[in-house]
Amino acid sequence: MNQEDIDFSDFIASSIHDMKNSLNIQIGFLEELMGECRNKVDGSMLGQLGHTIYEANRMNVNLIQILSLYKLGKSIYPMDIAEQSVKEVLDEVVLQNQSIMGFKGITVSVACDEDCYWYFDRDLVTGVLVNALNNAYNYTTDKIRVVAQVRDGMLEMRVEDNGRGYPKSLLQENVASNKGVSFSSGSTGLGFYFSSRVAGMHKNGGKQGALSIENGGAYGGGCFVLTLP
Amino acid sequence: MAILLKQATALVIDDFQSMRSMLVGFLKAMEVASIDSAAHAKEALGLLATKKYDIVICDYSLGQGQNGQQILEEAKHKNYIGYSTIWVMVTAEKTMDMFMGAAETRPDDYLLKPITEAMLEARLNKLIEKKRSLEPVEKAVKSKDYQRAIALCDELLKKHTTGTQEIQRIKSDLLITTGDFSAAKAYFESILAVRSMPWAKTGLGKVHFLAKDFARAKEIFQEVLEENKMYLEAADWLSKTLDAMGDLEQAQNVLSKAMELSPNAVARQKNLADAAYKNGDLDLAQASYEKAIKIGQYSVYKSSSTYAGLAKVLTAKDDPEEALKVLDRTREEFKGDPEAALQTAVIEGMAYQKMGDPERAGEALAAAEELMRSQPAGVSAATTMDMANALFKLGKKDEACSLLENVVKNNHENAGIIKMVAAAFEDAGMGEEGGELIRKSSQEVVNINNQGVILANEGKFEEGIKLMRQALQNLPNNDLMLTNLCGMMIGLMSKKGKDDSLIFEARELLERVQKINPSNKKYSAYMSILNKLAPPA
Repeated sequence: MNQEDIDFSDFIASSIHDMKNSLNIQIGFLEELMGECRNKVDGSMLGQLGHTIYEANRMNVNLIQILSLYKLGKSIYPMDIAEQSVKEVLDEVVLQNQSIMGFKGITVSVACDEDCYWYFDRDLVTGVLVNALNNAYNYTTDKIRVVAQVRDGMLEMRVEDNGRGYPKSLLQENVASNKGVSFSSGSTGLGFYFSSRVAGMHKNGGKQGALSIENGGAYGGGCFVLTLP
Repeated sequence: MAILLKQATALVIDDFQSMRSMLVGFLKAMEVASIDSAAHAKEALGLLATKKYDIVICDYSLGQGQNGQQILEEAKHKNYIGYSTIWVMVTAEKTMDMFMGAAETRPDDYLLKPITEAMLEARLNKLIEKKRSLEPVEKAVKSKDYQRAIALCDELLKKHTTGTQEIQRIKSDLLITTGDFSAAKAYFESILAVRSMPWAKTGLGKVHFLAKDFARAKEIFQEVLEENKMYLEAADWLSKTLDAMGDLEQAQNVLSKAMELSPNAVARQKNLADAAYKNGDLDLAQASYEKAIKIGQYSVYKSSSTYAGLAKVLTAKDDPEEALKVLDRTREEFKGDPEAALQTAVIEGMAYQKMGDPERAGEALAAAEELMRSQPAGVSAATTMDMANALFKLGKKDEACSLLENVVKNNHENAGIIKMVAAAFEDAGMGEEGGELIRKSSQEVVNINNQGVILANEGKFEEGIKLMRQALQNLPNNDLMLTNLCGMMIGLMSKKGKDDSLIFEARELLERVQKINPSNKKYSAYMSILNKLAPPA
């Protein structure tokens, strides 16, 4: 293959793929290490380890989002809209993040009927929820609630925390719009951009998925809301 | 199937030592009874061949050699794993190949890395539960009691648990298998009324295709691709539909586009090569066969007809020497495979003929004829046609004609094949005689059938069965004759009471019919009569 044949974005994508592999092994070892340390070392060291895992997970989530966006952009993402047990998906997302939450003393609860079923791409929506949980992890005091219900023929999934809520400036912006990268604020906007793309990829009978943020909810903190048709 | 995770036997396949030991560690912590591990495909297949596993956890990308998907395909193909085996694919990202393929080669689930123990355990328990709920359906399908299998699906659907889509798929497949196209159509439409799903829409298109409504099928497949261009199963069907409509050029274009999106699909690459050959696009045909050979090297879809195809193209491109080299390689790669031996012998004949060596061409074709005689039921119409064309070129008209006669008799109701036979006669400058031969041969089959029908009407079922059995020895692939024989067996049983060995034979006949002509109308009717006569245990 000639060098000119390689699209630069393809090159980045394959590198990310490679990085993800290393990172996954690293996370696996860290989890293992944490299991072993649990009863042997003091709390502050465990806390540090927990934070290390959180950062590694965050990195992994970002890489997955970039890869998915790359594929969505090239229209080569294999969308797989299928009926899912919503409760099952929520439980799994929470389970995945349990250990990290535990170290910061955060309790996460799930509120969803057992017989709630909906159609969506499981991996993409899981990615959105993990991202929302990661945000809530940063903002919450000690509680996070994940709620899902069908309302007006749409599935509404909410991640609510008991922190101070989103700043006004953020609420006024339309999160669904691509506000671009802001290096100065440290926010790449990747999570929101990814989430709104995913929402938009879900269509049914002329309706489209949407993403919004608000303050309030059961705890009066920040709420991240994904609505799917 | 193990009832509990703790009683299960499990296999972990991963090329990374660290990942492997991590996954094994997870399973140990779950107290799984027996855990093996393998680092690469060869080792894994060796284990799968000798031991029965309840659970396989397999990494998708395994470096050199076969990937996880190809191991799954081979394990299924060789019956190393059954329906009850839980196959979980572990992957760093979602890949097309994993779930865009045929339903029977899809893993039961896939897990995106990183994987935690809790997540793996939760998924495995869910899968065990699901397998258990589908067990009765699977049993009914195995004993070919399709009506019961459908009823069981309905029961499960009423309960509404996870895996609804899988049950819907099974049910719709069953409706198609039993030939109940109107019910299948209504079922797909009811699913689509709730939500447009590519699998259900493709299914609806398939029903139209099988009912020979090609124009509507084409529209539907095109719609699926407009809504979801990655749903390439629809592209395969669209190409098939265009082919059936005689639009060979478009059929080829559709496959070309699909190959760009999913460059490693072996079967599709070969279909593209076949289409290009039919269209006379020899350069593309050559490149496509070469690529199909390359990507199919480790796949169960590796097929001698791909190699034979390449040799055929090379011969057509006036390079018979290179064709002979390919044929040598084919013999090496497919040792002991009678179909491959036949295909290579036929094309070898063509190549020597092209080289101006009629003597060796004759020898090759004589060997091919010998091979053909030893496996009468297994020879495809396409190989027989190749053979006849080669014999014509050698001036062996009588042999060629008798082969074509056989093709006609086995397929007298298949317009496409009859057209190909007529073209072969035309090419040999025997258009008129060929037309006569086609008419006569078809008539002969019709006569035998009529004779059988008269015997059946007179209630002389035993005589009719004898006549049909005899006729089928020479014409093993004639679906009309197969169904008529089956009808007579049913007639005999309605007169003299049921007979288990006849029921068994009739079921086998119907299975052959289904294979030869999936849209045979009598298939479903006879199958349901048989099921009523002998409700399978």
